[in-house]
Amino acid sequence: MKVLRPGTLGEARALIARPGHVAVGGGTVLQLGWASGATPPEALVDLSRLGLGDIAASADGGLTIGAAATLADIENDPQLSDTAPLLARAVRDIGAPGIRRLATLGGQIGWGAGCLLPALLALDARVFAAGSTDPVDMPLADWLAAPDGLVLSVTVPPQAPDATWTWRKIGLRAAFTPSVIAVAGLRSEASAALGAGGGPVPPRRLPVSEAAVAEGPEALRLALEAEIEAPDCIHRTGRYRARVAAAALTRGLFGTPRAPAAETSLKVPAAEPPPEGLRSLEGGPGGPEWHPRPDGRAKITGQAGYLTDARAPDMLVGRILRAGRPHARILSLDTSRAETLPGVAAVVTHADVPGLNAFGIMWQDQPALCHDVIRYEGDPVAAVAAVDEATAETALQAIEVVYEDLPVIASPAEALAEDATRLHQGGNLAAGFDLERGDVEAGFGAAAHIVEATYVTPRQMHVFLETEGGWCAPGDDGTLTVAVGGQHGGRDREQLARILDMPEERLHVITSPTGGGFGGKDELTVQPALALLALKAGRPVRLHLSRAESVLAGVKRNPMTIRMKTGCDADGRLLAQEVELVADCGAYASLSPAVAETALEHALGPYLAPALKTSGRLAYTNNGVGGAFRGFGANQMTFAIECQLDRLAALTGLDPVEIRRRNLRRPGMPGLMGHKVAGSERLAEMLAAAAASPLWSARAGPDGDPEGTGMALNFQGNGLGSLPQDDGEGELRLAADGAIEIASGLDEMGQGLATALQAVGAARLGCARSDIRPVYGDTQAAPDSGSTSASRGTFAAWSIARGAAPGFAEKVLALAADLTGVEATSLRLVPGGVAVAGTNSDAPIARFADLARHAGTALPRQKTAFAFPKTDYTDGNARFIHCYGATLARVAVDPVTGEVRLRALEMHTAAGPVIDLAAYLGQIEGGLIQGLGLTLTEDTLFREGRVLTTNLDAYMVPSIRDVAPSLRVTALEDLDADDPWGPRGVGELGIGAVTPAIANAVAAAIGGWPVAAPFSPEAILELATGSAAA
Amino acid sequence: MKDLDTLSFTLNGEDIRMDASPETPLVRVLRDGLEQTGTKLGCAIGRCGACTVLVDGKALNACLVMLWQVEGRSVLTIEGLRDDPAYRPLIDALDAANAFQCGYCAPGVTLALAGLLKANPDPAEDEIVTALEGHICRCTGYHSILRGARRAALDMKGPR
Repeated sequence: MKVLRPGTLGEARALIARPGHVAVGGGTVLQLGWASGATPPEALVDLSRLGLGDIAASADGGLTIGAAATLADIENDPQLSDTAPLLARAVRDIGAPGIRRLATLGGQIGWGAGCLLPALLALDARVFAAGSTDPVDMPLADWLAAPDGLVLSVTVPPQAPDATWTWRKIGLRAAFTPSVIAVAGLRSEASAALGAGGGPVPPRRLPVSEAAVAEGPEALRLALEAEIEAPDCIHRTGRYRARVAAAALTRGLFGTPRAPAAETSLKVPAAEPPPEGLRSLEGGPGGPEWHPRPDGRAKITGQAGYLTDARAPDMLVGRILRAGRPHARILSLDTSRAETLPGVAAVVTHADVPGLNAFGIMWQDQPALCHDVIRYEGDPVAAVAAVDEATAETALQAIEVVYEDLPVIASPAEALAEDATRLHQGGNLAAGFDLERGDVEAGFGAAAHIVEATYVTPRQMHVFLETEGGWCAPGDDGTLTVAVGGQHGGRDREQLARILDMPEERLHVITSPTGGGFGGKDELTVQPALALLALKAGRPVRLHLSRAESVLAGVKRNPMTIRMKTGCDADGRLLAQEVELVADCGAYASLSPAVAETALEHALGPYLAPALKTSGRLAYTNNGVGGAFRGFGANQMTFAIECQLDRLAALTGLDPVEIRRRNLRRPGMPGLMGHKVAGSERLAEMLAAAAASPLWSARAGPDGDPEGTGMALNFQGNGLGSLPQDDGEGELRLAADGAIEIASGLDEMGQGLATALQAVGAARLGCARSDIRPVYGDTQAAPDSGSTSASRGTFAAWSIARGAAPGFAEKVLALAADLTGVEATSLRLVPGGVAVAGTNSDAPIARFADLARHAGTALPRQKTAFAFPKTDYTDGNARFIHCYGATLARVAVDPVTGEVRLRALEMHTAAGPVIDLAAYLGQIEGGLIQGLGLTLTEDTLFREGRVLTTNLDAYMVPSIRDVAPSLRVTALEDLDADDPWGPRGVGELGIGAVTPAIANAVAAAIGGWPVAAPFSPEAILELATGSAAA
Repeated sequence: MKDLDTLSFTLNGEDIRMDASPETPLVRVLRDGLEQTGTKLGCAIGRCGACTVLVDGKALNACLVMLWQVEGRSVLTIEGLRDDPAYRPLIDALDAANAFQCGYCAPGVTLALAGLLKANPDPAEDEIVTALEGHICRCTGYHSILRGARRAALDMKGPR
């Protein structure tokens, strides 16, 4: 591509007129187009040197804004807020600051779809353009209807000071959002001006509605609904667009009488004191418990060395060819053209897989590289390694694959239909679970109240900021180093050894640090293709998935449909519970069967009922691949049960706390499967903490939108459960430089493993955290400690320190005794080294570095092994140790758009001693907000097995404006006196009950429960108006 | 008027001249061409902020900035910021607050805050939030970043 920089308007026009030449301002729209597959032009004609960037007062007292002015220039113009406050307000809603610094006014107009256009239209902006024949000066509306020539500037007349004006951009989240629709309006005695557009809605003035303004708000609203022509998109219907645009303009120009408070039958619990020992966790420096994480500074300064950051002179770049179709047979695969391209070092296909061409944590049904059948769009067919990215890309395109498309299984219902095409030999039922206990029919027969609803949860995407990738290098000695962000190096090695037919001892697997996991890097990702490439090329290869490819290829949260029928007596005591779960497995098993089983383990929440019947069906489909995701099924089921409790509370006249209290399981009782569970249950305390929350009596905001407070309880198991192998090893050792290394095969993916290892080591040994160097995420440097998943890292780290510390300390003290001549029994470890016991001085008489030197090659080390505590239940999988929580949400529901806004989130937790305050708080806060995303904005949308939300412009992770402005976390740290299991892991606790807490808060606000997450604003509006009508 | 294929800009105070396709995204030039991987790549379409750098002091998405657009300009990346004593309090405050977890968003967020504090040493809370609207952090829920950013604003406002 060429970039041409004309210095005069004449030159610019002549260049743009040439075929394949495109005018460019900031280039933001162009690049989005290229990312979606548009062909880049032959040449860009840069308009930035034509002096078109000025903003100046116009003759009529308004502003003339040059076409090359950026949106940030407009935003920052000092005259704007006086001259055209509507425009000043509107421009801040376009993109994000970084986008506004690039995007130009000319681009907004030239592409005909900018979010700013409704505002400019309503303001009667005029376009001055170098037309094809003559200079053009015409209303923006006319120019948009028939664009002519190159826009040079826009003149915005001064906004009438007496006019009521409004602007509203409705999006998919609170900030930096694609437009659902944007509206702008001005109303004065004499006239009205209205504009609407954005997203798929072409921006235009609304003359019919303008005429209706004089007839009052209701006439205006109806006119707008009729006049706004809005199509559907993947996220919202056209009807919703027109409806909210009409409501927003009407409310903005006329105001709305305050809606009467919704008649909700939910009672507010009586205030009570919080449980003793509950402490509020304050974030930020200050206090002896707050420790900066040891890897924090390196991460901030770009020196953390993520595995996708590796660069070396002889390193090739790898790329993977994805099928790009959901279900097909491979008829032929020809890589010969790609192999002969200059710069291509290796091309691999299934034919290059020396061992088992399959992987999967539970069972191996997923091909490393497909050889016959494609089962999802992201299925890998081949991979290439080349000297650079561009060559690799060219090589991918040179691979010829002929497919025969097969019928697509797009839902579990289709998959489980009798005559469905089989995706795997064993059929489409990946797993089924059934449980019946007590007489459910009798229970429902005796019930005073029965509620039944079907809850739906989304295909949430992990969106770890660092997508899957890393590097791989063959060694001279027949070894292979595979360095790819992961969650269990030992298991990745085992799976790779099977695929590569290579002894595990020859594989060196590095898995840390990684830029986020959340379960999405638990399964193998790019390792098989990358390893095959490095082996074939005989050179190091790096590979880093683009976000778009990560969306296509990576595992997602299993979507679930949960039909739940719950009955209670007149006093609110549960009598019967029936649960029917259908889950979408996606194309391969990965951990999905365990996810479904875990969901069912929570079928009754932390409550008791004499009769229970559950069934679960996990179905293979062509919808990507499902698998592990923080919460692991528990949070989905908790959504359903916790909403059922509030529905029953409403029917029985109890408040949310009281109905839970009446049904709560009690410490010492067996778990749902009748299995033994560990002590230190704190459900009653969590309920008491929820009852004490100030959120129940929060005052509504000034805008008068309906608000409500809701709660939910949850518990989350720690560890893999009773069936899988779940043990590990770790080591304490003195390094030659005097650092005490605590070595564990766990992974640092952000959760704070390094800080936790330091904390448990220092606590056990008596040294300082800074004396300890955590070693992790590397099969050569640390023993296998099992997976970094299932909230098991805390127990693993604590067990390693507990198991290894006595032996290690003994060896260190013996060494110190040898060095100092003081008897070992009179010595103890202190920060920095070894000191004499029984004195008041913490001053070391020998520093750890002195001891290391003295030890020479006989450095003290102590290995330990641990087994994750398990319950004895083996008919299925069940957890033994748990942590507990209560989540409260305070929400406001926007009566115009149906959007739910979080005013506050509060979580009470009970997970034993907090081993690191910052890490604990970070896990809970992060889990809450990830749960907020699941609840309100996130879903990987599929149609006929194809991903629709292909990147972060369509998949909506909560932005900083979406999070609750108030976030409070508490901890209850005590354990039962005889509890030997130590601190519980809280990696998954935070996400566990956000969805039902928000749903119950919505119900408190508008009288009805949303059942399908993410809660569509459209459905919320239906609920709100439905209840108002009732 | 000329075709641009040899491009020059300043990177962290150092003159860079390179032959490259002018439409190459700056983030590719930094990570692959110059092998400076402190700048992260998260979405490549300007929607996550991980690749944020300062161009003439202003925070931009390096995945959207094409090489021709930095011709003659001055680019600051995390590799330059970390060596500039003026930004030491920013790094210190974010570190002390445990602002980040996985840290992959951290360099971009840090550059965005640097751009904000340079232009506006005494930002209101809402201005801090606005400056971070284009940044996705998937780990923290943003509150820890805000705690660090507030602290940084206080510390950097100090005697100057």
